Amino acid sequence: MKVYIIDNGGQWTHREWRVLRDMADARIVRNDTPPEDIADADALVLSGGAPSVASDAERMGRNSDYLEMDVPIFGICAGMQFLSEHFGGTLGPGEDPEYGAVELTVTSHDDIFRGIPSTIEVWASHNDEVKTVPEGFDVTASSARCRVEAVRCRDRPIFGVQFHPEVENTQYGPEMFRNFLGIASRHRKG
Amino acid sequence: MFDADKFIQEAIASVKEKTQGRAIIACSGGVDSSVSAVIAGRAMGDRLLAVFVDTGLMRKGEAEEVEAMFSDTGINFKSVDASKEYFDALKGITEPEQKRKAIGEKFIRIFEREAKEFGAKYLVQGTIAPDWIESGDGVRDTIKSHHNVGGLPKDMDMTLVEPLRDLYKDEVRQVARKLGIKSSERQPFPGPGLAVRCLAEVTPENIAVVREACFIVEDEIRKAAEAGKMKVPWQYFAVLLPARSVGVQGDRRAYGRTIAVRAVESIDGMTAAHSDIPLSVLNSISQRITSRMKDEVNRVVYDITDKPPATIEWE
Repeated sequence: MKVYIIDNGGQWTHREWRVLRDMADARIVRNDTPPEDIADADALVLSGGAPSVASDAERMGRNSDYLEMDVPIFGICAGMQFLSEHFGGTLGPGEDPEYGAVELTVTSHDDIFRGIPSTIEVWASHNDEVKTVPEGFDVTASSARCRVEAVRCRDRPIFGVQFHPEVENTQYGPEMFRNFLGIASRHRKG
Repeated sequence: MFDADKFIQEAIASVKEKTQGRAIIACSGGVDSSVSAVIAGRAMGDRLLAVFVDTGLMRKGEAEEVEAMFSDTGINFKSVDASKEYFDALKGITEPEQKRKAIGEKFIRIFEREAKEFGAKYLVQGTIAPDWIESGDGVRDTIKSHHNVGGLPKDMDMTLVEPLRDLYKDEVRQVARKLGIKSSERQPFPGPGLAVRCLAEVTPENIAVVREACFIVEDEIRKAAEAGKMKVPWQYFAVLLPARSVGVQGDRRAYGRTIAVRAVESIDGMTAAHSDIPLSVLNSISQRITSRMKDEVNRVVYDITDKPPATIEWE
């Protein structure tokens, strides 16, 4: 299983690699890597990033090209914001930004949150948030301060989380990645 | 999972392959540089010289401790007293990034000098993942320039060798235990030393204040842990704040300085939660600092922010 982590400049991109390398052949690549260079991907992770996606879209490199690839995609923080906007959602600054511990309420246990309790502690760090999700997407988790903590596309294996499953303090983080890789493995077998 | 034995073998082989000729390594006595030194020592033998620079920004007793530790390893070792040079370079600087850059610059100039004398072409460093991540690059914002990465001048004429670049602190500790390194469980201490715990100008006087306060915090927490009142936090120290406040000492008005106590729990330093230190322990720290250091400090506060939004160190 080959997973490319698209580096959008997040503080924790390398942590995503640290978690994934024990589960798959994981590599970090720059976000201006031509899609043909990662055509052998079984799954993609779009990392978080320093840029504010809404105002700094040019720093998101070729993320929109990667979203056309027929592989399961997992967007984290800025990665989720970017894919939400790409498919027609809207972004904006959070009224009460989340830094550090957040209580997450999971509303769908079908995919990324399979086998994970409905209330867990996750860690987040973001200024912007998804205000409206694209058509054909569901919200799969929320918190008191941020309604869109996780999304799923109904037609394609595309997922996003606003918080950071890759940091040590997030409960069940490795399980979320394992669930994602399980989806990727089934997708590969067709 | 991370395999420390495999890592050690591969790292030794990789240092062997990357270096022809002599190298020096910057040793602070901390776990990152000690592990790097032992790995590089196994790869290079006598071609390696470990250099400890006393920046004047170290903790109480640290220079002596490092020297004692290295005499056991069989690695060529040299200690350089550069405290005056550092204080000169830091004169008048209070902005944290400028401070880190000045320290990085000084650090590399001293090592260039030592490298020349030893005939070394390579500089081995104990850089670990958070150092280069937080230092920023093309896509990443600079959170703070770690002196061994973001603080390095562009014109430096040595080739860097960084065997631990992809590791985090918990993994370095696993490697250190395998290698039998004494400092394996030592709490992290920043490369720029006490300079980043001194939010005022970095002068010998200010550093002496924060050094003593750090010592008291470490000592009180060690005692409390030994007495079973708490477990030892991941990292714990004092910070000298650039704020004065009014107090009263024996019916006399005081207008003294403020010490912030910081203690956090973490695995890898990339996220951290403030420690839940019992109030009685905080009270002992506060009383000891404000009585033993009464001429300088009349207020002690406890920092209860996590990372994010704060960082572990204040600068």
